[in-house]
Amino acid sequence: MKLKFLLLSVLLSCLSATAFAQFTVRGTVTSDEGEALIGATVIVKGTSTGTVTDIDGSFSIQVPGQQGVLEISYTGYESKSYNVSPSNNNIAASLSVSSSVLSEVVVVGYGETRREAITGSVTSLRSDKLEQVPLASVEQTLQGNIAGLQAVTGNGQPGANVQVRIRGIGSISASSEPLYVIDGIPVTAGDITRSNTTANTMASLNPNDIESVTVLKDAAATSIYGSRGSNGVILITTKSGRAGKPKIDVRTQTGWNTWAISEDRRLKPLTSQQYTEMYLEGWMNRGETLTRAIQRFNGHYPGAVTFGANGEIQQINVESNWIDAISRTGANQSYDVSVSGGNNTVTYFASGSYFSQDAPVIYSGLDRYSSRLNLAVTPSEKFKITNNLTVSYLDQFGMSDGSFWANPLYTGYFLAPTIPIYDDQGRFYGDHQSFFMGGNNPVGSLSGDDERKFNQTRIMDNLSAEYEILKGLKFRSAWAFDLINVQEFFYRNPRYGDGRNNGGFATETAINELNWIGTQTLNYNTTFAEKHGFGALVGYEAQKNRRKGVVASGEGYPDPTLRTLASAATPTTASSDLTEYSFESIFARLDYNFDSRYFLSGSIRNDGSSRFGVNNRFGTFWSVGGSWRISREDFFQNIKGIDELKLRASYGTNGNAGIGNYEHWKLFGFGSDYDGVPGGAPSNVGNPNLTWESTTAFNVGLDFGLFRNISGTIEYFTRESDNLLLDRPISATTGFTDLTQNFGAMRNSGIELTLNADIINKSNFTWSLGGNITFLKNEITRLDEDIIDGTKIRRQGYDFQSYYLFEWAGVDAQTGTPRWYTDETKSELTGNVNEIERFISGRSATPDFFGGFNTSVSFKNAITLDAQFVYSFGFYLYDTEARFLQGDGSLTPRSQTNLVLDRWKQPGDVTDVPYFRWGGNNNSNLANMTRWLKDGSHIRLRNLTLAYNLPTSLLEKGKLRSARIYLRGTNLFTWTKDKTLYMDPEAAINGLVSSPVPNLKNISVGLDIGF
Amino acid sequence: MKNWIKKTLIYKGALVALLSMSACGEDFLNLQPFQSVTLDGAVTTLDGYRAAISGAYSSMQSSNYYGRYFVLVPDVMSDDVKQNAQANRARDFSDFVANSQDGISNGMFNTIYNTILRCNTIINADVELAPAVKAQQDQYIGEAHAIRGLAYFDLVRSFAQHYGFTADNSHPGVPIVLEFDESVKPARNTVAEVYAQIVSDLEKSVQLMTINPAKPKTMSKAAAQALLARVYLYMGNWAKAEEMATAVISSGRYSLVSNANYVSSWNAESSSESIFSIFFRADDDNGSDALGRMYILEGYGDYLPSADVINLIPAGDVRLGVFKTDPNLSGNLGTVRVNKFPNPTVQNSTPVIRLSEMYLIRAEARARQNKTSEAQADVNLIRKRGLPGAADVTATGQALLDEIEKEKRIELMFEGHRLWELMRLKKSLVRTNCTNLTCSVNYPNDRFVQPIPQREIDANPNIAQNPGY
Repeated sequence: MKLKFLLLSVLLSCLSATAFAQFTVRGTVTSDEGEALIGATVIVKGTSTGTVTDIDGSFSIQVPGQQGVLEISYTGYESKSYNVSPSNNNIAASLSVSSSVLSEVVVVGYGETRREAITGSVTSLRSDKLEQVPLASVEQTLQGNIAGLQAVTGNGQPGANVQVRIRGIGSISASSEPLYVIDGIPVTAGDITRSNTTANTMASLNPNDIESVTVLKDAAATSIYGSRGSNGVILITTKSGRAGKPKIDVRTQTGWNTWAISEDRRLKPLTSQQYTEMYLEGWMNRGETLTRAIQRFNGHYPGAVTFGANGEIQQINVESNWIDAISRTGANQSYDVSVSGGNNTVTYFASGSYFSQDAPVIYSGLDRYSSRLNLAVTPSEKFKITNNLTVSYLDQFGMSDGSFWANPLYTGYFLAPTIPIYDDQGRFYGDHQSFFMGGNNPVGSLSGDDERKFNQTRIMDNLSAEYEILKGLKFRSAWAFDLINVQEFFYRNPRYGDGRNNGGFATETAINELNWIGTQTLNYNTTFAEKHGFGALVGYEAQKNRRKGVVASGEGYPDPTLRTLASAATPTTASSDLTEYSFESIFARLDYNFDSRYFLSGSIRNDGSSRFGVNNRFGTFWSVGGSWRISREDFFQNIKGIDELKLRASYGTNGNAGIGNYEHWKLFGFGSDYDGVPGGAPSNVGNPNLTWESTTAFNVGLDFGLFRNISGTIEYFTRESDNLLLDRPISATTGFTDLTQNFGAMRNSGIELTLNADIINKSNFTWSLGGNITFLKNEITRLDEDIIDGTKIRRQGYDFQSYYLFEWAGVDAQTGTPRWYTDETKSELTGNVNEIERFISGRSATPDFFGGFNTSVSFKNAITLDAQFVYSFGFYLYDTEARFLQGDGSLTPRSQTNLVLDRWKQPGDVTDVPYFRWGGNNNSNLANMTRWLKDGSHIRLRNLTLAYNLPTSLLEKGKLRSARIYLRGTNLFTWTKDKTLYMDPEAAINGLVSSPVPNLKNISVGLDIGF
Repeated sequence: MKNWIKKTLIYKGALVALLSMSACGEDFLNLQPFQSVTLDGAVTTLDGYRAAISGAYSSMQSSNYYGRYFVLVPDVMSDDVKQNAQANRARDFSDFVANSQDGISNGMFNTIYNTILRCNTIINADVELAPAVKAQQDQYIGEAHAIRGLAYFDLVRSFAQHYGFTADNSHPGVPIVLEFDESVKPARNTVAEVYAQIVSDLEKSVQLMTINPAKPKTMSKAAAQALLARVYLYMGNWAKAEEMATAVISSGRYSLVSNANYVSSWNAESSSESIFSIFFRADDDNGSDALGRMYILEGYGDYLPSADVINLIPAGDVRLGVFKTDPNLSGNLGTVRVNKFPNPTVQNSTPVIRLSEMYLIRAEARARQNKTSEAQADVNLIRKRGLPGAADVTATGQALLDEIEKEKRIELMFEGHRLWELMRLKKSLVRTNCTNLTCSVNYPNDRFVQPIPQREIDANPNIAQNPGY
């Protein structure tokens, strides 16, 4: 605590450095066309003192000293400067539409600033890119729009969790997810459900309510978030009202979706003919006679196929296409109404929305209801109170993934087409349970016989009061809470599938999370000696998060329609758990600029957290940054063609506190009961030295504007993560298999380039092009021993996501048996698995480069065509289920995918698929081999929107402010480098694909009307 | 200016006051977990002992241990069990093609050592409790010793060649770890050393345990003696094996299940001859991964009884009742399934040691010491329980030993003994009714033992792999 007071005192003494006379300037701000600009920013040059214009575009501002310069800016308009003095104190500003992005106001940690003053790496996305995207979560829109950021779901389940990586993976075993901050509150993101496969707490946020998303990437921008800043920070700012008459916006959308992978690409199940042939062949390859094989077939599938006297297939009597049976055309719809407006003392933004999406697989879907009220009250010029409140409710219907029998997109291929979907009573067939995967029937399961769903209620409120103590000195106290309530329900019917042996079972889970945070900040801005702009921020923040879970389950369901636990014959689990974490922090930031040419910034934060061991509970993080607007120098004024040139650099530290809540304790946990006697056991090795992972980040960037129509940014960054938490394998003879330690180090470095160009900019026709590309390199720089993690190996000197696999060498054309390379030299082939070893072949799940590009055409301001592509190159996908689905008969008597049709049948056949034999073919379906690895390089048309804006003449007739009708396609087209790729290339960050719900291709039509 | 500074000072004071108001105390950051206690404080009361010993039994319920694989694997590697066509579990062991990456070996190794950790936590607790509860405390500590002894016995049987494989038993056993230290990377102790540890633990537990449990679901003095009888038999210490078996038999606490009740006793929690079994309730049942579900139709049904063992059972023997006809089976898969663990909903208890084994151990120990008639009496008791009208065993010498081996094979089939018996008796595996890739394995053979898991080799450079892996 001593340190905190010391720091505060130092900072506060800085504040007493100035005291000058001042005068008032009044004025109005209008556009070129004479329309009042409401909410335009007016700043006294060289300071951060400023105000915004009111409903009439008017403003009033105090300027210190005897003269000064006012800088007036408005999003999308060219900023202008006006000299003011006590005698020249009335300004009528007129702004023209801008091509430069440097003038916009950007939200940063604990405040906002003009883009020109930024010394760090900060990218924003405005509401126009976020509204009416037919995807459930806002993070999904970030992919391809922000350089250096990867956002993927790898799962088409509506409301699926989105993985976001900013400038690569910064951690080995702690979280690599960025910090999400909504209107100043660090919130819970990601998946907190227990029995659902994939969920996203952020899906409760209505993307239409968002004004901007700002991504903070380097230390200058993120160090103010201290021990939680190292993976980057995503600041989400919701819309607020502006003074003026009420504006009402109504948005509706409806659409259809299917699999994003085209029909000819995706895996197909076998037909009964194909399966029967394979079935018989599989037994004969085991040395059985055809007669015996047919006997077996008839034992499994009585009557499904009629065989002739010589064993030929005469007639197919049962033909089930399980994948077709669980597929459908998905649908989505959304309705969103918002109203905003206000007067000089009160402004508001209110909205209500409904969003629904059904995946192209039956059952899978999401419904969301949300409402919001953002209110700002200014009782006096010095006092402002805001309250942002949002309530949302969502229902998600999900399914299993991976190699679970209940995964319909896994079982759907495995189930023999010779098994009927319905039994002779018209029920879903389940009589194959004795020999076939527990008698799972995905069609029945997804048609209501089973359930796997959850709902989430989230209430978020942020109340703040701001008081201007002295001119330029503001105190702000913000208090926020975020309440999340999740109710999960998981049910398996008693008759067939996973519930068959227990008479059916159900699990209900309730998760309740309360996250509160209080932030007190003092902010001071001033200018002295005219050209010295100075800003300071100090703050104190405390946060606590508490999550409670209650799980109960039961089995033995007498009536399949009564599914609450009250109807279960035997309760099997009743348990609850509680977990907490807390943070306490002080922080400060200093900004200085000289003549708006040279900018310097520094930030510091001291964080303490309950997550860190007693020996390392507090840490301090800091950053410095500087920028130079070269284009503002006198010598630059004669250079034609370059409108803007700004060089900036930053260096600093931050941390990653994304570790377990009680990781540092040596623990003895309960729950290992024996026959009803409560039991416990050592549950955590514990490490009192355990602490945050630390990151040192360097960034250098150049922002430029050329020929008045090209703007861009090029950046180079390095991100060195150290003290990485590692679950280092320890000898299992200790009783534990790993120990969490701060040990490893990793480095991400890369180049990001963003370019935007207005190629044609005429009054009746505009055409613009934009794009970004990120080259990313990851390297583990310290690790004393290799860690094998499934398909990957973590090894010093190599990419974090390096695959470590046995090298598949195809099929021996003479024998139809599998072959591998024995080792890295690839000099020797063998068919014996005991002679092969895994090695790094240079293939990784980390892309060499990725990004997006877009183009937009507008004709007479009425018709617009927007296209956005995303791409990612040089990374590999691993199909974790292929060893079963393409197992060459290893799992009797499961069906396979169409890939088995290429199997080896006779000497001379050149193919990559070994011969088929029940019980397997010489380990041809080994795990962790390159046979299941595919190049994922792709370009995808993420968005194609054709829109028509009604002309003003028509609008006036209908008393409308605006009206827009559009057709929007999502993921319409995908180009892949590997033409045999059957998986969706947009997979999880780790490249593993485990038979998920397919990603969606969507076509929507929408209508937006403004009153 | 002065005024301004004064004003600033006031504000500064106010701010500091405000901040300190919201500044929370030390406790704000010192959050204790709700689901766990710190390890130091765990075993300090009698309740703590009880919870810790319960945790040790709980670990034995794992499907890697007595819940399934530890019992299943030595049987699928034997001539008592054959693979069903759709067998998808433990297949590599059944076919003798497993490698060091094998998940089953890894799971078994980790789970058994975790059981040992749980025992060590109790044995090393070193807490002085009130004299009134001393006997109960000793009982718990004794149980921990007994479980640890059994755990080392199980490890050394699975991951090392048998006792007697080398003349002085200097061949590698498994590492002995008696204290928790996260940094240890132990080398393998010799088989002789591991057996010495097992005997020491079990002998210690015999001394400590004085309370007879109401149900045979926990260790007891008799259970420790019974295990010692088996251990001594494996060590070829016939006199001690006989002594221990006699101690259990004459304790009077157990009696053989009657012929009439034999079959139904397998679906009961325990029977009058259960000395120590692992119990399961619905809430700690292994579900699809239960031992019985590897055999029964309602489960995975991966494994079937071999005709090799079925044909040894005389017609009319009650033990034929632990099979169940499955009409889907035909050809060399036979017609029946194992039904010794028949419950498809709640997992049946896994017998760890039973009274009938005591008679058979004593029979062998006596026969080896040329106490022929006493040996014949012991084996006859078991044989006639199965088939009351069976003729008496009159064989002597090696023929008597063969009769005892056969009787033991029938009596303990599917309880995870056969592979160990083959190894101990230095016999080759020959499968006549064979549905596997591998139908015979000659003794001695590297493949009779499991690989040390690759994960352990990677984490612990001092541990040596078994030959052949």
